[in-house]
Amino acid sequence: MDRRTFLVGGLGASLVPLMNRFAFAAGQPVSWWYESAAPAQQAAIADVLVGGFNAAHPEYSLAVDYRGSELDKQMRVALLSGNGPDVVYTAGPSYVAPMARAGQLLALDDYAKKYGWNERILPVFLEMGRYDGKLYAVPKTYETLGLFYNKAVLAKNGWKVPATLAELEALADEALKAKLVPFASGNAGWRGNNEHYVTIVFNSIAGPDNVYKALKGELPWTAEPFVTAIDRLNSWWQKGYFGPDYFSLETEQFFAQMAAGRSPMLPSGTWHFQYIQSYFKDNADDCGFVGFPSADGLGDPVYALGVGSTLSIAAASQNPDGAAAAIDYVFSPEFYSKMNSVWQGEWNTPLEDLSMVKISSEVPALYAESMKALADAVGDNKYGYTSWTFLPPATNTQLINGIEEVWLGRATVADYLGQIDAAFREELADGKVPAVPNR
Amino acid sequence: MHRLYLVPTLLINVVIIFIPAMLTIALAFCRWDGIGVPTYVGLANFRALATDRVFWMALGNNVIWTAIFLTIPIAMGLLAATMMLVARRGSAFFQVVYFLPVVIATAITARVWQGMIYSPLTGVAGLITRAGFPVPNPLTLPSTALYGIAAVDLWHWWGFLCVIFFAALRQVPQEQIEAARIEGASFWQMLRYVLIPGIRPTITLMMIMTIIWSFLVFDFVYILTQGGPAFSSEVLSTLAYRSAFYDLAVGKAAAVAVVISLFGLATTAVYIRLQAKELDQ
Repeated sequence: MDRRTFLVGGLGASLVPLMNRFAFAAGQPVSWWYESAAPAQQAAIADVLVGGFNAAHPEYSLAVDYRGSELDKQMRVALLSGNGPDVVYTAGPSYVAPMARAGQLLALDDYAKKYGWNERILPVFLEMGRYDGKLYAVPKTYETLGLFYNKAVLAKNGWKVPATLAELEALADEALKAKLVPFASGNAGWRGNNEHYVTIVFNSIAGPDNVYKALKGELPWTAEPFVTAIDRLNSWWQKGYFGPDYFSLETEQFFAQMAAGRSPMLPSGTWHFQYIQSYFKDNADDCGFVGFPSADGLGDPVYALGVGSTLSIAAASQNPDGAAAAIDYVFSPEFYSKMNSVWQGEWNTPLEDLSMVKISSEVPALYAESMKALADAVGDNKYGYTSWTFLPPATNTQLINGIEEVWLGRATVADYLGQIDAAFREELADGKVPAVPNR
Repeated sequence: MHRLYLVPTLLINVVIIFIPAMLTIALAFCRWDGIGVPTYVGLANFRALATDRVFWMALGNNVIWTAIFLTIPIAMGLLAATMMLVARRGSAFFQVVYFLPVVIATAITARVWQGMIYSPLTGVAGLITRAGFPVPNPLTLPSTALYGIAAVDLWHWWGFLCVIFFAALRQVPQEQIEAARIEGASFWQMLRYVLIPGIRPTITLMMIMTIIWSFLVFDFVYILTQGGPAFSSEVLSTLAYRSAFYDLAVGKAAAVAVVISLFGLATTAVYIRLQAKELDQ
């Protein structure tokens, strides 16, 4: 290779990264960084999101880049340096306020007006994305916690689906006698799974009204209802409801444990719907889901409201109109129908009106029923609060890690709640507590 | 003119090491969420660490880790290297076998041990348990989690020391070894009076580096237990990582990083002193 060829080739190669910026023929680029997704899920994104959006908006060219579980850290560093994608995907509402305060996000109010988001999205979720009176984020998906159960195991043993806490504990005790692990559970892959159980008892035993007061700073986390809730959770651990392998099992492993009939119940979130067809295979109807039973006096099961991720537009975006169009596309009944037909639990966008949604008949009817129950609970203002959505970061870390100390006898319930309360007071004073819609 | 040759490396060091190091030290005196504008808080982060029981647990775990890695892999490496020197046949093969775990990515090593050795479902431990001999997963018990992780890192690490010591042992003058043999020295006498004194600078360097690396340990701990259960395997670097990226307390994380660096600095100072002493002799 002579020198001139080398120089021309080198110059050409160096221009390749810039091609994206000048890809006039394919429409103006819109970038979106996504977390990790399995190959089948990436195919769904390529087909339903990217393919669907680019076909509907030929003036734009959406590209999704997978950043894995480190997305959140990469996003923060990128935004800090004035770079990053057009569509900002955050790990939840608690990250939105600091980003908005730092001027890294664009206010979405004008786009909300233009596209009619205020009418199409459940109002509670718009409240959660506000900072200083302006809308900065909309939730990509919302979820809740409840109780999955294996109908075949219950039928074989003559057990009923528990409707009260007493029935739940009676069933768990029977399961222990039958050498089954009552709750399929584990945290080897994601230590954050601990918080699902704390959230469940806070809402189903302490009650959502008390959680609301605590989130508003009107009730300490050391108050009696929370002590009762954690005491109850600890008693379940000590009795062996969570099994001997809790710290060894990853999420899919414990879901498989329930599908294989080694556990009758699995208390966790609606994102597990995505595993039903993989693990129950032809027996998908054997998987049931109900709201987690509540303590006496609380009435119906409490659906704790969770937002696992939000969508915003970067203040430094080169194409904010394209990013807004992409976000708007996600909030269409057409997208909801197609995406939830192939991938359940991760794209449950908070649409006000689900009457236009048509989910494939191959998806268990249970999924649509559960999502409707949650939407109704939100509409009726009868929802609870998940820790990952409503608690500030350091408080939530303490809630996740500290409960292990209680379970393993290295801290008392009072110490644990005292540490949560101390962390919360500090973050409340710093303005880090996410927006909590009025009850 | 010849000093200009230093410029490229100096530039790289300033940009990649000096500036980030100075920024980290500065941030240790600030409150910062990693997103907004840092605010100066003086020694507040260090005062918070002094009363943080998790920090002291993490520091204690780093000390235990250092003690483990200053003894077991160094002893194993020395012994295997000496035996390879004495019995030369097959030494090339054993060097490759011992060194192999070092070249496997730490993430893969950790996942292999987690899934194929320790797991009660898919690992050897589960197989033995199902055969009627209950073997708990060490990563799941507060009393053994740190040692379970250390075992994985030991498997990954000791071969490196072995190959380094073997290379150093080959530099020991052959006539000294022959003379010891003729005088009737046993294997242990040879080791104690000829070989170890012959490679003492290498052993010292490896011990110093072991101390520094022990205070930086992160990957195996984070992949295998994320510091749990119940903070039982928390080390300073996982605490710093959690503070920076989960708690959004970058100032506190920077303070932990400064503490880690202090141990590294102190160890380096000791090493430089020892080296100077050797040169004087």
